Amino acid sequence: MHRNGDIAMKDDTKIIVQVDKTVVKVTGLEVKGLNIQQLEEIIIDKLKSVIRIIGVTGNSIEMDVYGVEEEDILREEDGIIKAISLADGITVSDLSALSSVKKIQSVDINAIPEYIEGGCKGERWQKR
Amino acid sequence: MAKKVISKAIIIPTGDELRAGIVLDTDSPMIMQILLSMNGSCNITRNEPLLDSENIIIDCIKGYVANKVDLIILIGGSGGGHRYSSTLGKDFTHSSLDRILKEKYFSELYGKNGHMWSKLICGTIENTVVINVPGPYQEAKAAIEAFKKAYEKDNKDLKQININMTEAVKAEYGNKLAVNY
Repeated sequence: MHRNGDIAMKDDTKIIVQVDKTVVKVTGLEVKGLNIQQLEEIIIDKLKSVIRIIGVTGNSIEMDVYGVEEEDILREEDGIIKAISLADGITVSDLSALSSVKKIQSVDINAIPEYIEGGCKGERWQKR
Repeated sequence: MAKKVISKAIIIPTGDELRAGIVLDTDSPMIMQILLSMNGSCNITRNEPLLDSENIIIDCIKGYVANKVDLIILIGGSGGGHRYSSTLGKDFTHSSLDRILKEKYFSELYGKNGHMWSKLICGTIENTVVINVPGPYQEAKAAIEAFKKAYEKDNKDLKQININMTEAVKAEYGNKLAVNY
């Protein structure tokens, strides 16, 4: 294994990207026909930091926020909800809220769980 | 080396949220544009979004392989997703490709918390090249642009194509933390 800046690389092409991020979930939304790019641009403009939408359901969105601490995100809750409401395809309500804001925790890069190629799904679930 | 021109390509978006119309598919038009820049007369089909199911994805790929297409591109489902967190989407694309590709090369990108952000695979079944790209637009764009560049350089070197695609996606995750205003 060798290190290149903040990125550790193994010869078996498993690459660890050492980046801090906070996972934020917003619930109480109505989502239909969402343009994720537009939503990302709106939230990036609000937080002045890169975000990525990683999960969308009919009533929630989940995103990775890079380089912003949990407390700062929670302090901006109202502003974030208002910003989200500007995106096409999202309707907010009084129930809309940041239901989860969690900074990721580092793990030992030598202990990444494996899954069996072609193995049964249940087994993968348990291993994860 | 004789360059193999991609004359027939299939784009297959995956994800229940796309199929339900919760999220718009902006990746497919972007990928189509890049494929057309490689060959203006390429015949490109965008399959309907597939449900997140290994069997459905595999059956779809096999159908197109039987029709002797040159390239199949799957979009989304490349991360750890549900295997890491039950609230995230179901990511079955890479595990489906693991099961059916004959010759294949793959690279995995992990976050520092051990979550697999993306597993990119480049392989073949019969004479069809099959690749996947991540769902997020910027990463998908970086991956397919890297594919184009590597494929046009040496379309037989699947390993290098895979490495170049992975490096391009990694750059999107690791190097754009600050937004300049």
